[in-house]
Amino acid sequence: MTPEDMRYLLVGAGLFILGAIGFLTRRNLILMVLCAELMLHGVSLSMVTFGRIHQTNEGQAFTIFTLTVAACEAGLALSLVLALYRKSHSLDIQLWSELRDPDVPGPKPDEPETGSGATGSSYGEIPTLTVAGPAPLEPVAGGR
Amino acid sequence: MLEDIQQLVLWAIPAAPLLSAIVTALLGKKVLKGRSHLPCWSALAVSFVCSLVLLFGVLPGINGTGNGYARESIVFGFEWLHVGTLEIPLQLRADSMSAIMLAMVTGVSFLVSLFGSGYMHHDPGYPRFFAAVSMFVFSMCMLVLSNNFAQLFVFWEMVGLCSYLLIGFWFHKPSAAAAAKKAFVVNRIGDFGLIMGIFLIWTNFGSIDFLHVLSSQEVISHVHTKSPHVIPLICFCLFLGAMGKSAQFPLQVWLPDAMEGPTPVSALIHAATMVTAGVYLVARCTPLFVMAPNVQMFVTAIGAATAVIAALTALTQTDLKRVLAYSTVSQLGFMFMALGCGAAGTELVTPAVTAGMFHLFTHAYFKALLFLAAGSVMHAMGDIIDMRRFSGLKHALPITHWTFLVGAAALAGVPLLAGFWSKDDILAVLYEASHSKEHGLFFGTILVIACATALLTAFYTFRAYFMTFWGPERFPEEAGDHPHEATPIMAWPLRILAVCAALIGLAVGPTHLFASYLHKTVGLTAPEAHGLHWNIMALSTVIGMAGIGFAWMFYVASPGIPVAIAKAMKPLYLVSQGKFFLDEILFVLVVLPLRGIALIATLVDRFLIDGLIDSVGALPGMLSGYLKRLQSGLVTSYAGVMWLGAVVVVVIALILT
Amino acid sequence: MEWFQKNPLALAGLVAWIVGILMLMPGRKATSVRIPRLGLLVTAAGVVLFCAGVGGRGPEFANEVMFWTFAVGALLCGVLMITARNPVYGALWFALSTLSTCGLFLLQSAPFLAAATVIVYAGAVIVTFLFVIMLAQQSGAAAYDHRSRNAIPVTLASFVLLGAITLTLHKSPPAFSKRDLKEEAKVEVAAAAPPTGMMMVSPDNLPKEKPASKPNQLSLETAKLPVGSMKGLGKSLFGDYLFAVELAGTLLLVACIGAIAIAPRREEGAL
Repeated sequence: MTPEDMRYLLVGAGLFILGAIGFLTRRNLILMVLCAELMLHGVSLSMVTFGRIHQTNEGQAFTIFTLTVAACEAGLALSLVLALYRKSHSLDIQLWSELRDPDVPGPKPDEPETGSGATGSSYGEIPTLTVAGPAPLEPVAGGR
Repeated sequence: MLEDIQQLVLWAIPAAPLLSAIVTALLGKKVLKGRSHLPCWSALAVSFVCSLVLLFGVLPGINGTGNGYARESIVFGFEWLHVGTLEIPLQLRADSMSAIMLAMVTGVSFLVSLFGSGYMHHDPGYPRFFAAVSMFVFSMCMLVLSNNFAQLFVFWEMVGLCSYLLIGFWFHKPSAAAAAKKAFVVNRIGDFGLIMGIFLIWTNFGSIDFLHVLSSQEVISHVHTKSPHVIPLICFCLFLGAMGKSAQFPLQVWLPDAMEGPTPVSALIHAATMVTAGVYLVARCTPLFVMAPNVQMFVTAIGAATAVIAALTALTQTDLKRVLAYSTVSQLGFMFMALGCGAAGTELVTPAVTAGMFHLFTHAYFKALLFLAAGSVMHAMGDIIDMRRFSGLKHALPITHWTFLVGAAALAGVPLLAGFWSKDDILAVLYEASHSKEHGLFFGTILVIACATALLTAFYTFRAYFMTFWGPERFPEEAGDHPHEATPIMAWPLRILAVCAALIGLAVGPTHLFASYLHKTVGLTAPEAHGLHWNIMALSTVIGMAGIGFAWMFYVASPGIPVAIAKAMKPLYLVSQGKFFLDEILFVLVVLPLRGIALIATLVDRFLIDGLIDSVGALPGMLSGYLKRLQSGLVTSYAGVMWLGAVVVVVIALILT
Repeated sequence: MEWFQKNPLALAGLVAWIVGILMLMPGRKATSVRIPRLGLLVTAAGVVLFCAGVGGRGPEFANEVMFWTFAVGALLCGVLMITARNPVYGALWFALSTLSTCGLFLLQSAPFLAAATVIVYAGAVIVTFLFVIMLAQQSGAAAYDHRSRNAIPVTLASFVLLGAITLTLHKSPPAFSKRDLKEEAKVEVAAAAPPTGMMMVSPDNLPKEKPASKPNQLSLETAKLPVGSMKGLGKSLFGDYLFAVELAGTLLLVACIGAIAIAPRREEGAL
């Protein structure tokens, strides 16, 4: 193994832990699934690198299987997310913590929004398009 | 041939009632219903016939063994327990004493079951009644037939259980349930003594077999010389059991309350048979009691105290059945008085036991008769038993009247009737004991007490008689417009018992039939031929007649006298009517301290022990309280823990390599 | 630990990386959707420092440039993705990260894999994600997107893991590489050098005189073929792993049916 290969391994490890950090800290179900995909990327990169170190095609072949499974996982995860969304009308993972003991406190509820950052449209600084044609009947929310 | 008959007879006596009990208990409610008395009747008839065969056929055919007089028939059943050196076989053993008891028990039970089928007619618990009565007769027969103390104890408890079931027969009545519980609990105190006595016998004799413990004089004297305090202690413990079962002072409080049961039960269990089990036990253990004169004197003293207290209480009771119950207690006291007379000299042991057992025997008949007659009154009066609410029943209930009169006269000691002979025997034994050098004064006092009690007995018996059957004719409204005389099925047992009560004393007492039969029991010796004590007879006749005369004077001739006396001696009257406040005294002396202990135990249990246990139990809960927060139900936290584990594993791997 | 003492650059990079992520991460309270520039700078510096610190410079400049571009791009886009307030932006950053990873695949002579990943992820997965986000979250970032859970402990623990991996890799390189390090280095130079800058690697323009690597027991037949070639990969997939490929296809079918079954019907008022 050359030091160069080691760099690839470390980049793979970096992607892996970034995915893990994202999975553990974020509360959006879809983002969590995405973070899991990022972890899979890290693993795929490591496997490709290993295959190169060993001068075989197994690494890449295995990565293709990983890719397949990741695609399946993404499809299933998204349909599950949709099913969950249908029940709670939210993508917040904290709404789904019913498996705890009744006396264990649940996740803390959010503090009320006080900062200016989240007021108005949560899209924040998305540039708006100039209206072409007749103005819509309803005023745009947020008064921008 | 004899062996076969012996086996058959001995087994049939308890087996028939057991079979009847099982059949009635299983089929009574669904199949037999109103015919539930049939198994009981037939079983008790079989038992009675077998008892008679045993009494007159089998036992006289056996040659005496042991000391030349004892004759017994032992049938081995099976080995029940074999633990270490303790062997408890189930054996049936019949000797003269058991045979007399068996004949008496089965005979009276048969008559009572006849009466009961009329008395309990239309009761919803009809099958239950006969099942319990059959069970009781079975237990009582096994108790009498026991050949070792363990078997005796088992059936001693079983008769207690049957008594409990029958006292609480009408368990929906709170008073009946309470009385049943009281009887059971008070009996436990005595049973504690009994089982302690059995333990002592086991540790000192190395066996609990009657044959080993009672038959051989050498064994007893060996034990006695080895440790002189043991046998008195054993006797005391056994007597404690007898005190509980036979309602002796101060444990007699349960018996009057036991009258809550159906009257046939009172007649059978609480007058004729079960309560005499204590007397039987003491008589059976005569060889032990002989070695402990002090305990014998204690027995006599307790008997005398019971007799006089119960008689004084009976003076003022207005409940007919309670008067009879106190008279039962009093008569049991008489029996114990007699049993203790052996202390005055070994030559008195056999007459003493004979007198006690003879009184037991005659008492069973006339007391059963009295109770059944009282039941007949109760039946006619619509379950009213308070003597103040009816009077002058002698025309309305002629059969009941005459039979009750016979029973009352027998109890009061009218000459030639059953009670006269047996009471006379007891007084004679006491009289002879009072001539002994050692304890003459003691037994003299007891004799005086006994005479006074006899006077009281005659008085209160005839007080009840006059109050019930004489005077103006009054019926309570519960009786309906016309009180009905006992039906034939109830009347015939009364007649038969009345004949027995009248004649049985004369038949076996002065002819020495009873004594010459009984003395073949282990521990008794051949009686010396002694003449009748004419002086005692005269004395007891005078006493009985005086009592009856006083009763006539007070309650028929001039009914104002009792009221005046009650007013003049108000405190004494109240003491008597309040049953010497024994219930209250026992409540303060026994129940309250026990409740205090129970309270302390409750507090200790609840706060100390429960606290300890709970805190031990709470410890995992407390610890897991923190740990279970990991189980937050949130996917993220599970993944986080997994991730942390991976981190730790990799770091450890790094450190190790 | 000694390794970090000898390479303070890598340590500094890690620390800067952590700090940057924590600055970028949405806190417990709602924060602005705008990416803090300082945090972005610190993160970028950290990533670059880390990559520089771990060393292993390649022999060729162009190759080096591409590695740096893709590695820093993948990591930086990953950081931006996991810290994005808006899930739409998160998905887009993920797409960029995927593209960078595919570049790294190319550099590791896996052109088919790179193409497949781009097609599968950028073409299908990300688009599906965006569809779902837009269906489910039409009002844009929700309150829970502005908050994170346990950011500091999780980040620290994860970077402990990264540091541990780094140390492990430097402390005890795998045994096989020790044994014939030089020969393998030659092979790698030979294998990696020719396709530099090229998107296609065909077995034809691979040097024929490449010395045969030692036989691998896992795949004896394809061992002779050069790594990453379409022919070798195809032989491996449809030769050694035919059953697995069929199974993977079945799995895809099952997942497809499952997804359709799980996803709520339109008439159930799903979306």
